[in-house]
Amino acid sequence: MFLRKTKSQGRSAAWRIAIWPTVAFALGSAVAFAIMYLLIARDIRERSDAWLSGEAEVLADVSENTPRDALYDRLVQEVAELASREVPDTSDAYGKHQSSVFFLKTEPRQEPIWVGPTPKELFIPSVTSMPLVPGVPANVRVQGWKKAFRVVYHAQKDGGGLYLGFADLGGAQMLDRLTERCLMVWGVTVALGFLITWLAAYRTLTRVERISETVSRIGSEDLGSRLPEGPHFDEISRLSRTFNRMLDRIHSSVNQMRILTDSVAHDLKSPVTSIRGSLEVALSDADQRQWRERVAEAIDGLDRLSQLLNTTLDLAEADAGALQTRKEPVELSDLVKQLVDLYQPAMAERGHEVVTHLQPALIEADSSLLNRTIANLLDNEIAHLPNSCRVNISVRVKDGEAELTVEDNGPGFPPGLRSRAFERFVKGQHSTGHGLGLAFVDAVARTHGGRVEISDRAEGGAVIVLTLGEAVNEKVGR
Amino acid sequence: MRLLVVEDDSAIREFLNRGLTEAGYRVDVAPDGKSALALVDEEVYDGFIVDLGLPDMDGLDVIGRCRALGHTAPVLILSARRSVDERVQGLEQGGDDYLTKPFALAELLARVRNLLRRGAAPQTEAVRLRVADLELDLVRREARRGSDLVQLTTQEFALLEYLVRNAGRVVTRTMILDRVWRMRIDPATNVVDVQIYRLRNKVDAEGKRPLIHTIRGVGYVLKEN
Repeated sequence: MFLRKTKSQGRSAAWRIAIWPTVAFALGSAVAFAIMYLLIARDIRERSDAWLSGEAEVLADVSENTPRDALYDRLVQEVAELASREVPDTSDAYGKHQSSVFFLKTEPRQEPIWVGPTPKELFIPSVTSMPLVPGVPANVRVQGWKKAFRVVYHAQKDGGGLYLGFADLGGAQMLDRLTERCLMVWGVTVALGFLITWLAAYRTLTRVERISETVSRIGSEDLGSRLPEGPHFDEISRLSRTFNRMLDRIHSSVNQMRILTDSVAHDLKSPVTSIRGSLEVALSDADQRQWRERVAEAIDGLDRLSQLLNTTLDLAEADAGALQTRKEPVELSDLVKQLVDLYQPAMAERGHEVVTHLQPALIEADSSLLNRTIANLLDNEIAHLPNSCRVNISVRVKDGEAELTVEDNGPGFPPGLRSRAFERFVKGQHSTGHGLGLAFVDAVARTHGGRVEISDRAEGGAVIVLTLGEAVNEKVGR
Repeated sequence: MRLLVVEDDSAIREFLNRGLTEAGYRVDVAPDGKSALALVDEEVYDGFIVDLGLPDMDGLDVIGRCRALGHTAPVLILSARRSVDERVQGLEQGGDDYLTKPFALAELLARVRNLLRRGAAPQTEAVRLRVADLELDLVRREARRGSDLVQLTTQEFALLEYLVRNAGRVVTRTMILDRVWRMRIDPATNVVDVQIYRLRNKVDAEGKRPLIHTIRGVGYVLKEN
């Protein structure tokens, strides 16, 4: 039901897309044809007018200069007939086997001389009643003739008038044929144009339709399916590709969200259980001196809980691109030195030897985020190293970027963990953390236009390199 | 000293009321902005503790109205949100200090104490601090236990000075990191405990009466017994 509806909508869109170019093309080509028609018609008329004027002049000359004897009428008639034969007989088109040329000579006291189609009574009144300018061809309509006659008039010295008329039936027929063919070609072209445009639009829209069908299916069913990307590199394929990339991102963030929710729920359960347990034991314990211990345990559990919540929130903010930073010039080596001073005793307690190589590296950074990030790395070292290891911490400027390296000679990263170490809640099998530490470090590094890279040393141990963007002391330092 | 606590969560309101009353303050509580403003209209307070997420209005607006009414007493802002921007905004719009939930009561008390002291006349800067037979010379940066000089690093001296200045009062690990190391971090490992442990080894050497005590679940306190 839903599908059919969208399909018919797709068709109507194709129709709408096709109709406008077709209308524009039809109008344009019609105007072009009309102009061509007018130009040809004018040309034909000019040529027949030229012939007409010439012949009329000759005839006027003959009728003026022929002596007025008994043969006068005959002679004039003959000359006129000769002239009329110059025009090919094309009257077939109108079903009349009659000449399309007429000659009329009116005389004051005599019958007019008429050479031309019959009956002459149809012609003489129409012609003589027209107010004609001598020597200038004009249109005269005659009853029973579709085509108007071009008529030239010459006044005669004897007080009469000489009229020569010509209906260019050949020209008219040619124009008619031309119009007919043009109309046919025009109609076919317009229809073909419409069809091609419609087909193209329909095919394109069908692809769009397929995209929207797939997307709506993805929206309601599974996030796993993808649009066919096709071999083309046109806009539609790009649309498909863009959609697919977007779906990839949505898919992965939904997965992340699922993992996050599961892991948070899981990680929340154990502290909540232990807090509840401690407090229950405290309640049932008759010895009030034990209460303190139980309550303290509960508070420790709550501290772990709030730590988990804070880190989860930080990561959620970082993912949403909303990790707020207040950047200011920070001397990275000073900041690291302070943290190392803080962590040194805790490291020494576990027999670790900490060696620092701190070179000046002034960066634009959020010092509070950096503190937490580096504390995170150092916490990691303490949590994961077996006793009595060596930890090298160095700060330097490499290729214009500030770089913090934390290196140890411990067991390195557990196999299989390294590639996924930055994902949330990925942690080693024996880790007691939440698996959020390196994900947070990664998020902070990216906020500072840097990155974090981890690897295992060939001689054993882990290396974490944190790059924190451009060092601004570069120019000063050299 | 009279305080007004504006907080909509009844559990937190009760716990603040009890904690502050036990610490010797006279406390009024208001569950929302409207009742807070009604109280402010009639009473004079030495300090305010205001939660930002009130049901009827923004906590910042409550602070603004108090300031407009001519109250100059210091304000401690409480908030569940932890963004830097909000903290800065809160401090710019009339707040004097900012504390995010969840917090330790010890830290709240320390901050309230600090705020109220701010308004009082400045104390003459001491050059010597003394608790029992422990004496700190702040000028020469030396610590003595009785007649014995205690060898301390700069960092250890700063930590001891902080504990001595707060003698008799519990300080949390967060407070120590904030005041001594100037860091707002939340280490997953026992770095602060180890620092205290080292300091204790030097200050409470064998044969001496222990001064630095651990309050399990809360933090540390330096006191005579």
